[in-house]
Amino acid sequence: MDAIMQVEHVTRRFGSGRTEVVAVDDVSLSAAPGEVLLIMGPSGSGKTTLLSMLGGLLQPSSGRIRIGDDELTQLDENRLPDVRLHHIGFIFQDFNLLSALSCLDNVALVGQLNGLSRKDSRQRARDLLEQLGLGHRLTFLPEKLSGGEKQRVAIARALVNQPTIILADEPTANLDSHHGHETMRLLRRVAREEQRSVIIVSHDQRIKDIADRILWLEDGAFKNVVEMAADPVCGMSVDKDSAPAQVMWQGRTFYFCAHGCRDEFLADPETFMPDQAN
Amino acid sequence: MFNLAWRNLSQNRTQFLLGVGGVALALLLMLTLDALLAGSEEDLVAYIEQSDADIFVAQAGVKNMHMAASAITWRDLRLAEHNAEVISASPILYTTSVVNAGDSDVLSYIIGFDPDEPLGGPGEVAVGTAVLDTDEVIIDDAVARSQGLALGDEVEIMGHNFTIVGLTHGLTNIVNSVSFISLRDFQMLRPGDAVSYALLDVAAGADPVQVAAAINDRNPDVLALPTAEFSREERQIIRDMSVEILNIMNLSGLLIGLAVTALTLYTSTLRKRQEYGVLKAIGARNHHLYSVVAAQAALSLLLGFVAAIGLVWLLGQIIPLAVPGMGLALTRTGITRVLISTLIIGVAAALAPAWQLARLDPAQVFRS
Repeated sequence: MDAIMQVEHVTRRFGSGRTEVVAVDDVSLSAAPGEVLLIMGPSGSGKTTLLSMLGGLLQPSSGRIRIGDDELTQLDENRLPDVRLHHIGFIFQDFNLLSALSCLDNVALVGQLNGLSRKDSRQRARDLLEQLGLGHRLTFLPEKLSGGEKQRVAIARALVNQPTIILADEPTANLDSHHGHETMRLLRRVAREEQRSVIIVSHDQRIKDIADRILWLEDGAFKNVVEMAADPVCGMSVDKDSAPAQVMWQGRTFYFCAHGCRDEFLADPETFMPDQAN
Repeated sequence: MFNLAWRNLSQNRTQFLLGVGGVALALLLMLTLDALLAGSEEDLVAYIEQSDADIFVAQAGVKNMHMAASAITWRDLRLAEHNAEVISASPILYTTSVVNAGDSDVLSYIIGFDPDEPLGGPGEVAVGTAVLDTDEVIIDDAVARSQGLALGDEVEIMGHNFTIVGLTHGLTNIVNSVSFISLRDFQMLRPGDAVSYALLDVAAGADPVQVAAAINDRNPDVLALPTAEFSREERQIIRDMSVEILNIMNLSGLLIGLAVTALTLYTSTLRKRQEYGVLKAIGARNHHLYSVVAAQAALSLLLGFVAAIGLVWLLGQIIPLAVPGMGLALTRTGITRVLISTLIIGVAAALAPAWQLARLDPAQVFRS
């Protein structure tokens, strides 16, 4: 499948001479439709710098970043806001909702920025919020919402312009366990059902469960790439390289957390095909 | 963006009220002084404009009444009257003096007029009579009210006692009032062969401008002016006297309004810096953010302006009750001047926040 985002040998330096710092060093990655990519790493490893570059908020010192047909690194600064608006949905650690606007207006505003009429953008925002279970909170100000609800509004805002890529910065950091899982499930659903690439930067080990691939960033470079897959039977995330069992079925490879799951799958594969599942 | 501007503005009610209130007070300062001066102008020319005269004839070089002294001879008056288009020429004597009522003095123009002449007396008497006899006076109701005087009471003018027989309305201004006595009494108190002004009534269809020009051509010792021009000259005196004060107050109001609006807008933008950064990261362009700041400035100034107009109107109702003779009149010129100042304030106040937003780095949203 064609990658939605292609990052090739991207480097970002700050300062020069003796004070030069290489925040991101020759990083390459790609993100496919429907894929959840998790970038992990210690503090100061360059995650934020990388995320800023992926989002078109910071230009690399060298290398190329391509989203669809647009090569961000070749684009004029004036065109970057349009790329962000049309192709990228942002989800932030602190939700970053506009405190003076209601849930509905927070989401609708982004649609209006994209040229939708007020009526259409509000309708689309309403639909999205209702889909995310916030139909009863449309007129609430962010301060009246729980952390999980705020993050769902932020997700709705990220989706309102139907972007191809979702960039999420520590999306579960300020959420309790329940709301963290809820957000993770939602992001996975967004990736799977709507065929968007979801790139998450996080310290949260729980997110590994929904990631298709995990990239470990350290000192500005990827040290180890772990490709994850969801066990089609129990839904658990498993490392493809060390999965206890794997099966080829109709030209695809499925990975299992245990032989029991593999046997259950083989008994009736159709039941567990991803197309059938939620 | 307008919705966001309004929500940002009204989110914190106290700050909203302080911001709009500050602007309103600054604009009020400008509007009130303008309205006060306009009101004074109206009051000052009230006698002239209520006189029903078509032309005022004064001594050559004298173009008004306020702070002026004019003397024309009876011959001058007859010469003016000797014009085919002139129906009547009514003499008045005029000076500035005080009306003494017991313990207090009230500054007043004293006008001596002939009750048998058609012009020169009060345009309208609200209470009592306009027909004066010896030792009788007509004063303004605002003076009567402030001094506790009524018809039949006595006042002292130019050292002589007069009985109040009539009350006019609207002839008291911020500086003084107008009182009427008979021409004969005036001549007795200030003997002389001259009169101050002649008030002419011209025939229907005649042009006062042409008649005045003809009088001036025939007699170089006098200056005849159509009432409209005479009134305009009188107003100009007030304007000339107040222009410096008006400019200072306008500048003060403009600076206060600018300071309040700029400070409110700047702190509001600073407080919302993170949110503007989010908008920029999401894809909002600088012009989107400028439009939010501009709309906030426009909204607070518009609300402040409307509040200021409302307050001036309210003051216009209250002040004359508390201070007789002090009226406020909102004029188109005054409102336009304040509107222009408001626009200047809006543009200037939005500059700093716009500059701040232009420099805002959207990548800051990832640095929590």
